[in-house]
Amino acid sequence: MSGLFTPFLFQAAVQSITPILLASLAGVLCGRVGVFNLALEGQMLVGAFAAIAGSYFAHSAIVGVAAAMAGAVVFSLVLAYGATIFRGDPVVIGIGMNLLASGLTAYLLRVVFGVSGTFSDPGIVGLGRITIAPLIGVPFLGWAFGRQSALTWVAWALTALVSVVLFKTPVGLRLRGVGEEPDAAETLGVDVAGARIVTVLLAGALAGLAGAQLSLGAVSIFAEDMSAGRGWIAVVAVMLGRNNPLYAAAACVLFGFADAISIHLQSLGLPNQLTDISPYVATLAALVVTHRRRRRAASPPAEVAAATPGKAEARPEGR
Amino acid sequence: MAFLVPEIEAVGIVKRFGGLVANDRVDLSAERGEIHGVMGENGAGKTTLMSILFGLQTPDAGEIRLRGSPVKFRSPIDAMAAGMGMVHQSFKLFASLTVWENIVYGVEPRRGPFIDRRAARTKVAELAERHRLAVDPDAAVGGLSVGVRQRVEILKALYRDARVLILDEPTAVLTPPERDALFGVLRRLAAEGRTVLFVTHKLHEATAITDRVTILRDGRTVARLRTADTSPREIVRAMTGRNVNLKVDKGPPRVGAPLLNAVDLTVAGPAGRPAVDRVTLTVRGGEIVGIAGVAGNGQSELVEALVGLRRPDGGRVEVRGADMSGADVEAHRAAGVAYVPEDRAVVGSALTASASDNLAMGFHRAAPLALGPFVIPSAFAERARALIRRFAIRIPSERVSVGTLSGGNLQKVVVARELSHEAPVLIAEQPTRGLDVGATEYIHEQLVAERDKGRAVLLVSAELSEILALSDRVLVMFEGRILADLAQDKADEETIGLLMAGRTAEAA
Amino acid sequence: MNGRPRWSALPLSLRPPPVALAILFAALTGGALVLVSGHNPLRAYADIVAGSLSLGSLPDTLNWATPLVGMTLVAAIPLRGGMVNLGGDGQLVIGGLIGALVPLVLPGPGAVAAAAALAAAALGAGLYATLAAWGETRHGIPMLISSLLLSYPAVGVTSYLARFPLRDVTTGLPQTAMVPAAARLYPLSGALNVGSLIIAAIAVAVVFVDRRTVAGYELRMRGKNLRFAGYGGVRLDRQAVLTMFMSGAIAGLVGAIVVLGSQFRFIDGALLTPAYTWSGLMAALLVGGEPVGAIVAGLFFAALQTGGFAMQRDTSVPRVLALVLQAIVILFLAMRQGVGRRFR
Repeated sequence: MSGLFTPFLFQAAVQSITPILLASLAGVLCGRVGVFNLALEGQMLVGAFAAIAGSYFAHSAIVGVAAAMAGAVVFSLVLAYGATIFRGDPVVIGIGMNLLASGLTAYLLRVVFGVSGTFSDPGIVGLGRITIAPLIGVPFLGWAFGRQSALTWVAWALTALVSVVLFKTPVGLRLRGVGEEPDAAETLGVDVAGARIVTVLLAGALAGLAGAQLSLGAVSIFAEDMSAGRGWIAVVAVMLGRNNPLYAAAACVLFGFADAISIHLQSLGLPNQLTDISPYVATLAALVVTHRRRRRAASPPAEVAAATPGKAEARPEGR
Repeated sequence: MAFLVPEIEAVGIVKRFGGLVANDRVDLSAERGEIHGVMGENGAGKTTLMSILFGLQTPDAGEIRLRGSPVKFRSPIDAMAAGMGMVHQSFKLFASLTVWENIVYGVEPRRGPFIDRRAARTKVAELAERHRLAVDPDAAVGGLSVGVRQRVEILKALYRDARVLILDEPTAVLTPPERDALFGVLRRLAAEGRTVLFVTHKLHEATAITDRVTILRDGRTVARLRTADTSPREIVRAMTGRNVNLKVDKGPPRVGAPLLNAVDLTVAGPAGRPAVDRVTLTVRGGEIVGIAGVAGNGQSELVEALVGLRRPDGGRVEVRGADMSGADVEAHRAAGVAYVPEDRAVVGSALTASASDNLAMGFHRAAPLALGPFVIPSAFAERARALIRRFAIRIPSERVSVGTLSGGNLQKVVVARELSHEAPVLIAEQPTRGLDVGATEYIHEQLVAERDKGRAVLLVSAELSEILALSDRVLVMFEGRILADLAQDKADEETIGLLMAGRTAEAA
Repeated sequence: MNGRPRWSALPLSLRPPPVALAILFAALTGGALVLVSGHNPLRAYADIVAGSLSLGSLPDTLNWATPLVGMTLVAAIPLRGGMVNLGGDGQLVIGGLIGALVPLVLPGPGAVAAAAALAAAALGAGLYATLAAWGETRHGIPMLISSLLLSYPAVGVTSYLARFPLRDVTTGLPQTAMVPAAARLYPLSGALNVGSLIIAAIAVAVVFVDRRTVAGYELRMRGKNLRFAGYGGVRLDRQAVLTMFMSGAIAGLVGAIVVLGSQFRFIDGALLTPAYTWSGLMAALLVGGEPVGAIVAGLFFAALQTGGFAMQRDTSVPRVLALVLQAIVILFLAMRQGVGRRFR
């Protein structure tokens, strides 16, 4: 056990938290305005691909990050308009977007770069690490943040920012109202559809950042389906955090450590097929623990219940 | 009090929704300082007109005038800026936000990029004090009672300095004492020079509080009366276009054996306090027992326990003498309980399913609709057609989905299904909510007919007049307890009103 | 309050059927993608059609359709009741592994071993699927999330087992030993085997249950209004568990059929690469779980994908294009369905 809590573990944990944290911020924002976002996986993937493409063609990590955000935002137009103006089912749209992202990035990988499976090239400029020398020796926090990419810092800063905006500013108050009671918000003068669209697109940018961290953060590579379920873990983090950025971040920390521990277990000789599943097992355990307190009579979180196909058909008399 | 120009006028308002004309050249005018009633049956066009006055809808034709000048509202923002305020029938409040957050939402006082919480709370407290609408600014709205929530809604409008305040069916959810308190507030607001538009379908309230009334029927203005110069009968005649029997015809009950019993029934509630607190009641065959009480005092939980939707935490339920402890809904139905739920669309039916499917639910496991594990589609259709005929449900065919039906017809579907159960026990919850007078009459007739067939009928309603008209015995529920069991001749509005507010005769 | 979309102004009779429109839209968008990659879209599409529906390619299409339609049913059955099973992958591999192992350890004639393998696969996968149902009924964890999360451990564990303890060491690959010839599914013509008939029979059974049984009625009503079903006496918890069991069982059966009918061993990853689960899910989502529509959609997607293979062979346009087209179709329909929902 003493070999477990090494500086490396903390660094690895925080590193793997970054994309999930950014994606969960995206999910929190969408949840707060009442758009159930299941497309995080696909948004991240699109961002990852765009980041590699941007960095490759411009030989610059910054361009890669910008491309990631832009690409994910354009991709998110589907959810933004689909769930608001077109009143589509966010669950169907989300899953459809994930599948579109998977197929589209695989297609473009072949067509643009002429390879299948993975793409890597010396011409791609990765994000690189920011090393803060005085911090490195500090136990826990120093180990965690001493050497991380810029996006990791951005992710935590954004978490704080989103928290403050959501709970202390007029914009945040209005967004919270939109998600809770769109009718009431509309009556009080808020353009619900507009707020939702803008928020979903903003969330897309955040998910794009997550993708950039994936493909440019540690090693500069794009692999098919490289989001590998992290988007779904972000969905769970949002759920566990009840759409609160700080609680969702706490959930992300849990997963990040589970992930890092699995890597450590790998180094001890356990096969990676088994260790790779530890974040998911940790997630399931967390779900069971947090839900055990709830009585069975209580239904699943309102947005999930309402978003699940079929249940949405019980539409009360309109007027 | 007379001014040259009315404070607010609607002139020739027309509004269509598809083929339906909701407002057909409607006129209305109210003076400054007046409490003006807007009356009509459900579906007469009152809510549409108010939506237009508040900017939620734009009229297809016609004009709104404020103090003589025409105005155009493209949205509620315009309306609120012009001094309109509205308290909707279903509150537009954010349950997880606090009272002050709800009130300043959209017009938050700021300090730099942040909300100035202190200023907001102070302003709200001052406003509440000035208008004598007691609220706790920091309370989460979700935990507040309906009466307090309404105060928050009114404060919302006053915070924006509404000169014309529209209230849509405000008393539907209030106890009689709360209603009187509301009337006090409205009178003070009118005395201040504000104008109140009071939308209601309740006669005695309209006559109690309004100075003048405008009556709508089928989308048109059919009468504009001075309250002091008219009578309830005249108002009803204008609302419905015919003479309606205001009382329900029923003979004395012929009471039989007890068919439904609750003994010491307890259902746990949130935060430790029981929702249903050791309730004991009996309903015998051939009588209608009415439970009066404001919604939220445990009636829903009580009914859920009686029909098997919820397991009681104490005590027991007996149907025809059989102990139903631990039994689920299927068992309760098999034992002989039929249930008309309070929400016909969310619980009582499946809007996207056909009438045939809807009318079969609850009977689909046995003959003639099923044979072993298999269902017989032709039997479904036959049964549906028979029920549609018998209950005169207006629907093109049994294959059409019930989502297209009007409220009255949908309720007929629910009632038809439950009554065709021929169950000895019938529980009906808010059976005429949102229905017009004609549909209400029909449902009442059916309930009395069931009672005369010897069934035990339990009626739960927030509409006191309905309880008083139909019940042979009246129970009053408050905070999970039954406070009184009154025979029909002892039940009058004043006594029950006090009990509904928790004040027993001794304590009053 | 919001603007009404243009097409609702057309009278119903003139409006083109949404599915046709969706396919047209996907074809156009996909065509643009093909152009961008420097190929001829018309030739690509012609290849897709010829490669899937011509007489020579029909057996291949049907062979591909077998697991795809099977996984469509896996998704459609719970969806009909308003429940979402996202754990098809996990259930699929559990069934596949069990199907590959049972004939190796069971003595007796081949046909018996095969039948036992299929049954065990269905049972194992079905039980695993009920875990997600328990999660929701006992703990309130949404089935959508738990079924997906459970899929990863299932895939991971079966992958590990195939690579290490249960590996066939005579080959250098991550796979279990060959299933004895006697236990393999009886071949029909070409690549087709009796497994296709089994799936076809299940498809018919699903439609029958949906239309003609009490359970089917209750599931349908649950999908339309959960509270209404509960109010009518349907035992919701039991229904959830049983439905998920059936769904998982069919997934397990599909896995075993692929193993015993085509691959003859459990090969790590081979059941997942063709993405049957997700295509099946898409087909089911298109029609909200309605069985006949789902089966038709599944067949359509199977044809699209088989045609995609042919297209890649012929024009070197990557066959993932087929998956892209599928996703576009479903997204387009998701939006149109939402538009249609706005009744005035």
